[in-house]
Amino acid sequence: MAKLNKDSLKTLSFITYFIILFVFWFILSGYLKSLLLFFGLVSVLFVFWMSYRAKALEEDSLPLKIILRLPFYWIWLFKEIFKSGITTTALIWNGKYSPQLISVKASQKNRTGIANYANAITLTPGTVTIEVDKKIFLVHALSKKLSEDLQTDDMNKVITDLDK
Amino acid sequence: MSYNYIELISLVLLAIGCFFILSGSLGLIKLPDVFSRIHAAGLIDTLGSGFIVLALIVYSGFSLLSLKLLLIPLFLIFTSPVTGHAIALFAHESGYKPKGKNKK
Repeated sequence: MAKLNKDSLKTLSFITYFIILFVFWFILSGYLKSLLLFFGLVSVLFVFWMSYRAKALEEDSLPLKIILRLPFYWIWLFKEIFKSGITTTALIWNGKYSPQLISVKASQKNRTGIANYANAITLTPGTVTIEVDKKIFLVHALSKKLSEDLQTDDMNKVITDLDK
Repeated sequence: MSYNYIELISLVLLAIGCFFILSGSLGLIKLPDVFSRIHAAGLIDTLGSGFIVLALIVYSGFSLLSLKLLLIPLFLIFTSPVTGHAIALFAHESGYKPKGKNKK
């Protein structure tokens, strides 16, 4: 995929976006009649035109490279959420929490990666990204163990690798 | 008799989801300040709703409906961190200091 030039990459991302929108429409409606499918196509084209007008289809916002790795990343993320969720639940019940602020460094290159990392930190229970300052996050963690888990940098590496 | 197994599995998953929602609600009352309470709310958003949707998928069988149900946690993945971050950022910018020891 690295060999493709910019224009063909853009076309490919347009096509992918179109397919995603149409599949989304189909999942929500479930109709198979040709007339209704045609109406679906019209509404999908309308949304496509609107997002094109709003310049929401730039390279950065629809990263094609990671779309195939995304399901594996989500499975990994669910595992992480489950692990830290158990820890947080135990902390709530036994009352041994000691809230603290830490700063975490992000090593992602583009804006999507940084937003992804900040979201992943907030999504795992027990840690919340308070402020993003260029590449340094201010993170609030519920206990020492949770903050140490974050400082081992595992999550950072996984999300940086996502964008290779 | 497979019907009973499916009902049992979804019942267990519902119970787990309810337990996480209960813990989250307890944390919402028990924890000391705004920042810590966001963690409890996040617990409800991710694990609580996740397990309950999983139980509903198992109960309803695998069809187009289960795909629709899968969309709910997918949207929660994107929206719940944004709300948590918005509350935390506003509390931080209006000068609210978290309790506990702070090392920057």
